Amino acid sequence: MNELLFFMEVLVGGLLAGTMYSLVALGFVLIFKASATFNFSQGAMVFFSVLAFCGFMQDFNIPFVLAFILAAFLMVVVGLCTERLVLRPLMNASEDTVLMATIGLGYVLEGLAQAAWGVEVRRLDLGIGDFPVPWIADNLKLFISALDITAGLVAAIMIIGLFLLFKYTKIGLGLRAVADDAGAASSIGIPLKHIMLLVWSAAGVVALVAGMMWGARAGVQFALVDLALKALPVLIIGGFSSIPGAIIGGLIIGAVEKILEVYIGPFFGGAIEGWAPYVLAIFFLLYRPEGLFGEKIIRRV
Amino acid sequence: MSGNSANILDIKNIEVMYDNVILALHDVSLKVPKGKVVALLGANGAGKSTTLKAVSTMLASERGKVTKGSIDYDGNLIEKQNPSQMVGLGMVQVLEGRRCFGHLTVEENIISGAYSRKLSKGDIDQELEKIYTYFLRLKERRKSQAAFTSGGEQQMIAVARAMMAKPKMLLLDEPTMGLAPQLVAEIFNIVKELNQKEGVSILLAEQNTNIALKNSDYGYIIETGKVMLEGTAESLLNNDKVKELYLGISKKGRKNFRDVLKEESLNKKIN
Repeated sequence: MNELLFFMEVLVGGLLAGTMYSLVALGFVLIFKASATFNFSQGAMVFFSVLAFCGFMQDFNIPFVLAFILAAFLMVVVGLCTERLVLRPLMNASEDTVLMATIGLGYVLEGLAQAAWGVEVRRLDLGIGDFPVPWIADNLKLFISALDITAGLVAAIMIIGLFLLFKYTKIGLGLRAVADDAGAASSIGIPLKHIMLLVWSAAGVVALVAGMMWGARAGVQFALVDLALKALPVLIIGGFSSIPGAIIGGLIIGAVEKILEVYIGPFFGGAIEGWAPYVLAIFFLLYRPEGLFGEKIIRRV
Repeated sequence: MSGNSANILDIKNIEVMYDNVILALHDVSLKVPKGKVVALLGANGAGKSTTLKAVSTMLASERGKVTKGSIDYDGNLIEKQNPSQMVGLGMVQVLEGRRCFGHLTVEENIISGAYSRKLSKGDIDQELEKIYTYFLRLKERRKSQAAFTSGGEQQMIAVARAMMAKPKMLLLDEPTMGLAPQLVAEIFNIVKELNQKEGVSILLAEQNTNIALKNSDYGYIIETGKVMLEGTAESLLNNDKVKELYLGISKKGRKNFRDVLKEESLNKKIN
């Protein structure tokens, strides 16, 4: 019975930690949908946004909610500048060119963030501890971190919000149209620049939320940039263009890496959660390259 | 800013290049009178699509450029506009190959056509109902995903979607490509109806010369980026060269180009 409880604890802890990956992956999916480009600067956006948030709160003593609004607004401005200065000049360039541009954009954001707010690691206290919730520990005998639960809830809210935005608003319809066929969308007068602005801003806000969760756990520091890499296996498993895919992919990675770490890790000398997701991703690339929810890749010959 | 001339579209001697080196159109001039249907005919690669894209400004996204000549649409000189501005001016292109939004429902596809207009929910519903009177078949399938509809239905979606933008002028690029004869007729009936009841001027690129001319007022035949022949639809239908090369009817009973060539080579052997 204890064995089972322990397994449950590992599983639930893994799933909830996975939602944190999902949050990061969500930002990628948004941009991939609209411009068919993997946004290499997503990690830098996470770092940039949460560092700005911390800066507002700690250096200027701005209250939490206002700091969040300011940081979110800043990300909209970043989206605006990205559309105007990077995407629009490259409108007719190949996807590869845009991909390279996002790498450059990443470096610019990293540099700007550190120039503005300094390079030291900052503590971010959201008022939610990264320790087991007593109520759950007493009643269900499971040790689950409050931060994990919060991240799970936040992820759920963001997904529902994005779903409603895409399904029921005009601009959401425009985005789905552009995702399906950008050429046809522009032929009926859907302005691509508005759509780009929307997705980059949304991806920026998603990055901010993901950054706050990760920052609360690991400190707000440069290492957050590499979080983006952890989202890669999530996207490969879930499919690059699917929002549900980002969620399920994150859950799978979270659960699998924790279970492998606990049960198989000791045979490899531990610390396999760092690379186990990538092994899983390679299997997906070999046998199901479009991911679980990705659109089937059809090419006419 | 509407032009007062009788022509809604006036293309004068345009030349189009792709990637600054590939010459796609040499010298194309054509006019579309207000409220008329004009057919642009020619084989694959003749330059029909390029001409339409030059007009709708979709060329830029394919690295094409109008390098000579001028295009006048409804009193506006078309130069630096982008497609969404052209839609704002009342010109909508229905691209070759239907290009529906596969993951959207039929109805969402059609509604997306109204994106450029500021309409309330009620207005959109009203417009939808009006569009459905032309496309009865689509009303039945309104909730299906567009990717799962037939080729003919997808073509109707593409035209219906364009009509939602309330165009003064439609550019139709090969609307009958790959469709069964019955559907071809159905599509043309709808196009004709839209032209007559909604007063939309239409420039139609087609390979299907016969049915295109039967449903147009005027026609242009282009080959390798040049206008070879033009005239009223009736005069083209009765033109011997057109009959032989594009309609496959001739006094000698030859049915198509291949027959013409075969016969010629036979004659050579005999001689």
